[in-house]
Amino acid sequence: MEGLNFESAMTRLEEIVEQLESGHLNLESSLAAFEEGVRLSLYCQQELEKTDGQVQRLLRKLNGEYELEDMET
Amino acid sequence: MTVQEYITVSVLNAYISSLLDQDELLQEFWLKGELSGYRFYKQSGHSYFSLKDKDATINCVMFKSRMHTVNFQPEDGMEVLLRGYVSVYARQGKYQVYVEEMIPYGTGSLFLYLEKLKARLAGQGYFDTNRKREIPRIVNRIGVVTSQDGAALQDILRVVRQRQPGARVILAHSSVQGSEAPRELATGVRMLNEQGLAEVIIIARGGGSLEDLMAFNSEEVVQAVYASKIPVISGVGHEVDVTFCDLVADLRAATPTQAAQFAVPDYTAVLKHRDELTLRMNRCIQKLLANRLERLDRCLMKKVWTQPQGVAKRQADRLILCQQRLGAAMLEKTKDDRYRFTLTAQGLENMSPLKVLTRGYAIATMEGTVVRRIDEVSEGDRLNIELIDGRVKVVIQGKEKVERWKG
Repeated sequence: MEGLNFESAMTRLEEIVEQLESGHLNLESSLAAFEEGVRLSLYCQQELEKTDGQVQRLLRKLNGEYELEDMET
Repeated sequence: MTVQEYITVSVLNAYISSLLDQDELLQEFWLKGELSGYRFYKQSGHSYFSLKDKDATINCVMFKSRMHTVNFQPEDGMEVLLRGYVSVYARQGKYQVYVEEMIPYGTGSLFLYLEKLKARLAGQGYFDTNRKREIPRIVNRIGVVTSQDGAALQDILRVVRQRQPGARVILAHSSVQGSEAPRELATGVRMLNEQGLAEVIIIARGGGSLEDLMAFNSEEVVQAVYASKIPVISGVGHEVDVTFCDLVADLRAATPTQAAQFAVPDYTAVLKHRDELTLRMNRCIQKLLANRLERLDRCLMKKVWTQPQGVAKRQADRLILCQQRLGAAMLEKTKDDRYRFTLTAQGLENMSPLKVLTRGYAIATMEGTVVRRIDEVSEGDRLNIELIDGRVKVVIQGKEKVERWKG
């Protein structure tokens, strides 16, 4: 699950569902795909519910570093 | 009269110049006015003119190096918008505007200018549709380049909160009109790219006149959006025409609100999609398992599992039958052998020397060896004659060969 982001997770999940529905997989592959699918599904949910809902302003400091400053909105 | 401390003209002009140069406001601004006394020197390539309004006038110079930004034929009386800075021309003791960029102001001439700029940018490939990037289906961090005080930001925030309450908004504040706007908008896009957290960038402002939107038509903004590694959605509210920022962006929205809708999918819709995929997956695997279970059940229904004792009994029966047959065969065989044994025993009895002796025969032996033939003995040999109830010792006095039967 390295380098996973929501987009790739969702796409992979869609692939898995299609593979499973095609019925071309044998039992072992199906179960492995299912296991991966469950993990991806959970990951997607977590990503969706990862909430901070912050609004921040991006500022560049004099030394060139970036800083995020919370904003009242 | 004493000699006062004094300075030279050069020093004075240099001092004034340094004052002006320190002033940030004078370093870059947009200036609107009417062209007057426009002169273009072919040899040097520089232009000199004044810009004036009802009550004031100022000298302007535009050097050859900046003339390429002029996409129209300047004429006296024309309203123009120019970007530049103020500095002192020491030789004449004048302050003047050093023009960096000049565009026509007013709808007619502005359109003409925009047409030419558009053709140039298009020619450089900025608006090619085949290089547009996909907007990710879901993003958690949205970069926004707009004014922190504008309605556009509020519109965007409202949509984001509605659709995906958890999404984070990172604002790169920028003015959205005026002389600073092109540079600030471009900087905002670049900063978000450098900082790298945003997954999509919305560059936006609310509606306005063509003049108000000029920053979004600037080459600087077009270049920044073009160079952005993060997909950019342009959301500039306007009715008349698209801005160049719209054309170069990966996706164009008609308003900031729509831009936010494009950037942030409906949270509940995405959740629903995920739920549906999960459900479909579960259904598949259940079906698969149900199918396997059914096959297993069918196997388990076979007699061998339901009535194993039946199978065992059949095997036991077979075993018993085998045993019986084996027993019978053994019996048969031993019966035969017993008969043969009886016969043999009888034969043995008949052959017994004792039996022979009782019938009146005798056995002659010499030195423990049975004498069978006449030739084995000679006269004078001592023999033992075995009778049924004793032994006679004899000496051979004579012998004679007799033919008993033809052997």
